[in-house]
Amino acid sequence: MKNFRRALRPVIVFAKIDTRRLFRDRIAIFFTFLFPMLFLFIFGGIFGRPSTVSFDIAVINESRSEFASGFAKSAKEGSIFTVSEEITTRLQAEEALSRSQIDAAIVLPEDFGAVSAGQQNPGGQARVLYSLNNQQTAQAIIPVIQGMFEGTNEDIIGERKTPFSVVGESINKEGLSNFDYLFAGLIGFSILGMGLFGPTNVFPRMKQRGILRRYHTTSLKVWQFVAGNIISNSVAALLSVTFMIAVALAVPFFDIHLNGNVIELALFIVLGAIVIFGFGLAIGGWAKNENQAAPLSNMVSFPMMFLSGTFFPRFLMPEWLQTVSEFIPLTPFIDGVRMIMVEGRHLIEIGPQIGMLAVWGLVIYTIAFRVFRWE
Amino acid sequence: MVEVKDLKKKYGNKIAVGGVSFTVKKGEIFGILGPNGAGKTTTLEMLEALRTIDSGSATINGVDIASNPDKIRSLIGVQPQTPSFEEKTKLTELIEFFAATYGEKVDAKAVLEDVQLLDKANSYPEQLSGGQRQRFSIAAAMVHKPKVFFLDEPTTGLDPQARRNLWDLIRQVRDRGVSVVMTTHYMDEAEMLCDRIAVMDNGKIVALDTPENLIKLLLKKGFNKPQHIQQANLEDVFIDLTGKELRD
Repeated sequence: MKNFRRALRPVIVFAKIDTRRLFRDRIAIFFTFLFPMLFLFIFGGIFGRPSTVSFDIAVINESRSEFASGFAKSAKEGSIFTVSEEITTRLQAEEALSRSQIDAAIVLPEDFGAVSAGQQNPGGQARVLYSLNNQQTAQAIIPVIQGMFEGTNEDIIGERKTPFSVVGESINKEGLSNFDYLFAGLIGFSILGMGLFGPTNVFPRMKQRGILRRYHTTSLKVWQFVAGNIISNSVAALLSVTFMIAVALAVPFFDIHLNGNVIELALFIVLGAIVIFGFGLAIGGWAKNENQAAPLSNMVSFPMMFLSGTFFPRFLMPEWLQTVSEFIPLTPFIDGVRMIMVEGRHLIEIGPQIGMLAVWGLVIYTIAFRVFRWE
Repeated sequence: MVEVKDLKKKYGNKIAVGGVSFTVKKGEIFGILGPNGAGKTTTLEMLEALRTIDSGSATINGVDIASNPDKIRSLIGVQPQTPSFEEKTKLTELIEFFAATYGEKVDAKAVLEDVQLLDKANSYPEQLSGGQRQRFSIAAAMVHKPKVFFLDEPTTGLDPQARRNLWDLIRQVRDRGVSVVMTTHYMDEAEMLCDRIAVMDNGKIVALDTPENLIKLLLKKGFNKPQHIQQANLEDVFIDLTGKELRD
């Protein structure tokens, strides 16, 4: 026990000093606190607004019928469409479509709303123009217009209830914003930055200056040096994430939700920070200089950055890529953070995520301790 | 204190150290001299348990280096050629850390006072001058009261004042009963500071004795150089003009 306490002394002393160092170094402060803010505000600015479905369209009214102008007016008044004022001809509409300025153009042809021979009521067929880029949006718009026409049809023909109908009802009582989904990704990005780029920059530099070699002449063991670094990195990770969440909660525009248990979230973030730091340690501990470290750290960080759901959600990826990216170490971390933070789940419910992280941790630390060099 | 027998080290096909033997007594300053590439640093690094020993034996205080590198590390203090420390770290913190690596707790301020750096206790190492850094490095290497102190070219790049101050510190270390093993390129330094000297060339020791004896031996062989009977040299003039006072 006494020996153990003695063995822990360098770990604790190093962690304390290293944490203090963080606050003395302007560059470290920038990367720990302000850099994540940059992403928070950029991505929050893009995705932060509470989402209501809305389409940008143009209405090309070639008809003079009262019915057609009535429809054009109601399209403008509704909240579903944002109708362009400038685009009034088919030619303009086609150009705007090809530039993806608008999602679709609704064309009301000349005979739209006229009473054709032998009919009692006005009729007509509207056309929805779309480009191949916007196929999905157009397909979503058609039923919306269909619905608008049906309402009108009933008005004209008289009360006629359809026997079968469907009504939507939201089950999300909390109402998640778009940004809730992405916010967990930004936390992941910040942990990745500290855990990977920190040691892959710092350790090779310390080797080149002979600092690690000097440590090697003392009784300091590799595990003590690593453990001290893990603690200070975890403290930095927690401070950084706390700061991010505090700012995001304080700005109502971001509209994020913190539904889970804060202690459980902190524990899970520490687990993730330790695992990601293992990758930085393996690379920085192995590399003799920055030239050896840089390509490796890019190779490891790129898939994590782009496939783990940091900047865009994984559910938008093709299925095979979703399956592959499930095994990237940052993925279970980001998923877990989202599950605890947004969905309010408990650690016990996210066993698969914790398990995946633990396996990665075991693998990467085994490698890291084998390849570690003091110089 | 240090016993070295037929120590060898090869890098690939190149023999860096080709069988050196010497002993260092308790409380003496032992100098290793030699041109670049003679094997001084490699010899030192093997004794510091930084390099594996190919063959031969080396013990410190009776402990075999090759089989007990961890035990050896607690017996030695090391001053590298260019001491470098982590930045943005107070000197007191660094001293506390170095002591902690040996599982020990020290009064960091007292340690700094010993090397006249108490007024720099809250400074960072990057704010120190060359001489101050050397002094600090000695303090850091001595925190755990080692039995042997290794220095690799400690005075390279220092001004005469700082050099003299460092010599005093090294003598103080010796006077506490610590064995000092150092390499140097400066002959005046070896002559004034070292109790005994080993001269290395091509991985071998070509001479080993006190500086006085080595000089006598050479003179006996009939060596003589044009004599300038002068009671002072340019360095004496320099010190006389600028004083012994340490500059930082």
